[in-house]
Amino acid sequence: MRAVVVYKWSRNAADALVRADGSIDWRNAKMSPGEDDPAALAAALRLIRGGDDELVGLTIGDGDASWALARGVASTWSVEDLPALADNGSTAAVLAAAVRRIGGVDVVVIGDSRQEPGVAAAVAGRLAWSVVLGAQTVEAVDGRLHVTRRVADVRQTVVVPTPAVIGIAAESDLDRAPGMKELLAARKRPVNRIGLADLGVTAGDVQTLGCRRPETAPARVFAGDPAQSAAQFVSALRAEGVL
Amino acid sequence: MSDDVDFDVIVIGAGVAGSVCAHQLAKAGHEVVLIERGSEPGSKNLSGGVFYCRVLDEVFPDFVSSAPVERRITRNVLSFLNGDSHVNIDYWDERLAEPANAVTVLRARLDPWLAEQCEQAGAMVMPGVRVDGLLRDGERVVGVRAGEDELRAHVVVAADGVNSFLARDAGVRPKEPQRHLAVGVKSVIALPRPVIEDRFRVTGDEGVAYAVVGDCTQGVAGGGFLYTNRESVSVGVVLRLDDLGARGLSSSDVHDHFLAHPAIAPLIRGGELLEYGCHLTIEDGPAMAARDLTRPGLVLIGDAAGLTLNTGLTIRGMDLAAGSALAAARTVAAALSTGDCSGEALGAYRTELERSFVGADLRTYGRAPKFLENPRMYGDYGRLLADVFHGIYTHDLRPRRHLVGAALGAVKASGVGLGQLARDGWAAARAL
Repeated sequence: MRAVVVYKWSRNAADALVRADGSIDWRNAKMSPGEDDPAALAAALRLIRGGDDELVGLTIGDGDASWALARGVASTWSVEDLPALADNGSTAAVLAAAVRRIGGVDVVVIGDSRQEPGVAAAVAGRLAWSVVLGAQTVEAVDGRLHVTRRVADVRQTVVVPTPAVIGIAAESDLDRAPGMKELLAARKRPVNRIGLADLGVTAGDVQTLGCRRPETAPARVFAGDPAQSAAQFVSALRAEGVL
Repeated sequence: MSDDVDFDVIVIGAGVAGSVCAHQLAKAGHEVVLIERGSEPGSKNLSGGVFYCRVLDEVFPDFVSSAPVERRITRNVLSFLNGDSHVNIDYWDERLAEPANAVTVLRARLDPWLAEQCEQAGAMVMPGVRVDGLLRDGERVVGVRAGEDELRAHVVVAADGVNSFLARDAGVRPKEPQRHLAVGVKSVIALPRPVIEDRFRVTGDEGVAYAVVGDCTQGVAGGGFLYTNRESVSVGVVLRLDDLGARGLSSSDVHDHFLAHPAIAPLIRGGELLEYGCHLTIEDGPAMAARDLTRPGLVLIGDAAGLTLNTGLTIRGMDLAAGSALAAARTVAAALSTGDCSGEALGAYRTELERSFVGADLRTYGRAPKFLENPRMYGDYGRLLADVFHGIYTHDLRPRRHLVGAALGAVKASGVGLGQLARDGWAAARAL
């Protein structure tokens, strides 16, 4: 089984500065591990059982490519000149081209990101592979993939033929900071640095015309003596015609 | 010297001191790891400041043109600020532009660049690791511990900042008394380039730095600062911890008071707040740096060694950090070449430091912290200066007094007294 784990492929929305007028400033935001990346990596590492099994990393944009290498991945690929894009289809086109370039891949494991919900499925679409999203675990059984996912209140296991894209949704924060020895080892592991020109793709993006904060109803806070506050609250509800 | 090491040198802290030291040692062919607590160098650093950067000429010959510096400081303003007046000494000089004497920097931008230079010189940069303590073999420091991992080296260089836990761990520094320390509270406010150029009368990549004393701190020992970056202004206060506590003021309130002052508010009007934060800083560097700076296998540099100078006119830390890093790198390189990293061999660092501008300036300004304890600096003298000029410029149709008479009258009215003024003047001349 030859697996690719995709990591550090989007910016963290928490790094964006939202101005008073609703416009967004990404100037200090770099590509960073997404909230589902540790779970995707953990799931991908469990696919590797020895023998010919191999797990390869894939990351895009700026930032340090050694995140996965310090967490057990033997080698990685980095598409360094890809900017963070708002167009999920364009991001997916580059990832799919990189997967083809890596070659011989049976499964792509990627975080099923809430912030960038279209990417995992669009990678599968570009590759014309099967795809399962919202997955918790993935296991290789007789050359096929057994994938568990939560559907309503039950945990469902589905069998997926390879090649496939599996989108892992984290159930908890699994990330563990690597130790110094792991970081040292990571520095010795190979990073294959490539650019968009090597992949023969261009990365167009959608255009942002403007941003504004959503309309929010004004809130009123009744503080102080509980009895008085409650009375004020009730009279306010009456005044608004709620009661 | 034991061969059982992972690196020749472990440097802790990828700030100016740590990066310059790691760079020099790696460039000399030594195996160096530079460990940084932040997820990347600079990510933990809210700081910025005026960097008197000539010290880097020998390290990075094209530093000002290739590093991400903000502006070359060609205008320095010393401001005595009162509630309703101020007296400024405004010094602009084209000669300060070339060669660049001082530049403003934002450390979140500068530190990653410095770490990159270290990597290019052959050092390994290891971010995201918090060192928990030193490894010892008897009295000798032989490495560091982080979590369950240990790394060993011939020499450990502690460049872990003003709060250096490694210096405390090594027993070099006790808990600092509050009068040695200050808290800095700073805002970084975005302004468009043309607005900065118009408001501060600068052009191109030139900039201005203000050192402010008086009402900016509401009388607390310390001062205010303001300096221009490319497209932002950094402005805030530094307050000596013991005096702040004694006066029962909140550091954030003092910061807000300064930014709202009529002398400052128009300079930042309409700006967008990008960052707001506070940090501990050093007030009495000479006292802290007088302590031991080495142990067998261990060297302290930069803020970890207490190397910051507040002269009242300038606050210097980054140039002393770089100077101490160069002195330490020379000492450690010599120790590695002889295979003797004992306390005695590394003790040569003190001599190297004394020989450099760092030691010379520590001696020159050794009396400055004591002088700056003078409470009259933070109120009386600002008002006195304003009163003198008020006497000169107020024309209320009464006959004019001679300048000396007007000044003497202002001194008399101030309650400071001529004798006190003379003693403080003499103390200032000796300290500064």
